[in-house]
Amino acid sequence: MDFDFPEDIVIARQKASDFAKKEITSADAQAYDKQEEFPDDLRKKAFELGIVDYTNPWSMLVTIEELCRADAGLGIAATVSLFGAEVIMLFGSDEQKQKYLGSVQTGEKIMGLAVTESGGGSDVAGIKTTAKREGNKFIVNGSKMFITNGSIADFFVMLVRTSSPDGKRHHGLSTIVVEGNLPGFSRNKLSGKLGVRATNTAELILSNVEVPAGNLIGEEGKGFYYIMTFFNISRAYVAAQAIGIAQGALDRILSHLGNLAKSGRSEEITEEIQFLVADIATRVEASRLLTYKAASFLFQFKPNPTLTSMAKAYASETAVFATEKALEITGVSGITGDLERFFRDAKIMEIWEGTSEIEKLIISRNLLKETSEGN
Amino acid sequence: MSSEEQDILKSAVQEFAQKSLLNNLLKVERDGIDDSIVRALATQGFLGSRIPEKYGGSGIDQSGYLVVLEELATFSPSISALVMLTSSVFAGLVGDMDPEAVRRVASGEAMASVAFDSILEGNTTAEGLKESGKSLIGERKHILNANADYLISEAEGSGSLYLIKGGIEVQEEDQVLSFRGIKLGTAGVNCSTCVKLADDGKERLAEVMDSLDLEISAIALGISRGALQKVIEYTKVRKTFDKPLKDYGPVASTISRLMSEQRVLEMALHNQEIDEAKEKLMIKILAVDLAKRASKYALQFHGGYGYIEDFGVEKYYRDAMGLSILLQRSRSDNQRLAKEIFGEKSGYL
Repeated sequence: MDFDFPEDIVIARQKASDFAKKEITSADAQAYDKQEEFPDDLRKKAFELGIVDYTNPWSMLVTIEELCRADAGLGIAATVSLFGAEVIMLFGSDEQKQKYLGSVQTGEKIMGLAVTESGGGSDVAGIKTTAKREGNKFIVNGSKMFITNGSIADFFVMLVRTSSPDGKRHHGLSTIVVEGNLPGFSRNKLSGKLGVRATNTAELILSNVEVPAGNLIGEEGKGFYYIMTFFNISRAYVAAQAIGIAQGALDRILSHLGNLAKSGRSEEITEEIQFLVADIATRVEASRLLTYKAASFLFQFKPNPTLTSMAKAYASETAVFATEKALEITGVSGITGDLERFFRDAKIMEIWEGTSEIEKLIISRNLLKETSEGN
Repeated sequence: MSSEEQDILKSAVQEFAQKSLLNNLLKVERDGIDDSIVRALATQGFLGSRIPEKYGGSGIDQSGYLVVLEELATFSPSISALVMLTSSVFAGLVGDMDPEAVRRVASGEAMASVAFDSILEGNTTAEGLKESGKSLIGERKHILNANADYLISEAEGSGSLYLIKGGIEVQEEDQVLSFRGIKLGTAGVNCSTCVKLADDGKERLAEVMDSLDLEISAIALGISRGALQKVIEYTKVRKTFDKPLKDYGPVASTISRLMSEQRVLEMALHNQEIDEAKEKLMIKILAVDLAKRASKYALQFHGGYGYIEDFGVEKYYRDAMGLSILLQRSRSDNQRLAKEIFGEKSGYL
């Protein structure tokens, strides 16, 4: 067993780290956070310099970590413009891949994934948005909530109900590509988020939106499975975001304690603080190992949802824990610096792409199932 | 104040908050506490509730004061913090040294601000304001409620504590996490009308802040109760997988246990027989910890809606953390508690 990354991934991490140090300054992060503004120039630059490379998932994973280590809002905004692309990559037609993925992979266009609705976040099968087939098109009606890139994306991979459930709620769901400029499609940017305020989030409203039937991804009625497959991938990336936040908090704690020591205040670094530092560092390392293991299965096309959920839930809780303790350790200097933003950003990790509660249900249900099957 | 009188006062504060604050809570978080709210608080006698009547306050006893702080905090932790800053910190530090300043603050005519960061974080010294004859000049960071008419701060070098009356110009906001209603900021000072309050500013500030264990507990318990009330209401109506969230074991048992802690701590807080410093400190440490956990779970069980300001939950999460940093001397408290438990200096290594 070798825990070292191959050289190309080490280089990708270093490149991302250098980019973050140069392009994601504390002042920029603070300004975008304050204005709730999407950093499109930063996103474009990340593509131009080859920092964002979705053709290499390991590279993407460590890049997300490094950028979120500098700032989660900017880091996520710079790396999330292909959100949902895996659904097209895995299940879309060649024509769809060519039409939609080429332009997002170069950074020219932005896409989004539209699943969540106001009536239910965790209950994916409970969505109400419908797409009724009429000749060679779908007529889409409904709304979507908390959609990342919602008001800036050029198109969305959207989960819709195409037929009534046949006794099973997750049946009758399909995924279609819906372009953002269609008549009847409106979007409202959500403001006043607690954190990750540089990312764009919106509510989507669809009123008799006509979508070509050719925009159906894969088979009709298989949408729920496609989205679950996608979540299994995206959760590994969310774990990477969370690791970046936790590592960023740890970096800033160590810097603060180093400054105390340099200024002759070593006695303030009590054993209680040292124990907390050790605890945070251990959790960060454990989160990394879990995430890399889950990603290893995933990127070899043999996903292990139990491991992915463990990684996502644990890394998210680590981010919240690390940022909370970071503020407690650094006090006024922390709350007046980057760490207060890290604290606000971290909490979304336990909520989006499956709450911690959902992840725990997935873990335990899979384990119980394996046990009952005699594994 | 008898428990019946406390109940009457509690109803009065709630009625006031429902009528005068409820529709302005989001505005308070976005833009700060405006003059109309300050005047309304003063008119009701809440702003200067603990200030003696001779200085223009309401002069209510501590048990009533704790009711006011807790009830206000369930609606707006910022407003409750403003009342404590005015009634306890400012009036406590100024008192007889400048009765007119206390009277103006109690009546809402003038606003009070205090900088006490030097006692919050280890062995630091207050920086920025230099003594020049009878004047104080410079730039002071980390002022709580910076946009005010009066400022209490130590001077750099001597460490003397001054009441600065005028010549205060707010320059920027220092932090955006917590207590957005009153803000923490930096101000330029050029004041020739200063009143020296104490030679050893740090000692005096610590003395006053350490006397506010129950007051801070009241704000903490207001935060946790506000968050828990929200999440109880929400989980009753919000359904997932066709069932209300409250029907799920992890949700119901977590909230129920937090409510149990809330009730027990409220009983302790309002128990007028509690007199020992040790017990007051214990209540504070547990209450602040509860505020952090309760607000975190309240946000979590609201899901995405908890993460946006409109639902009024995320402010409790922010303010609970800020309370432990901006208004509580956590490290010093832990050592005070250890000293109380062991009977001698402990837990400092």
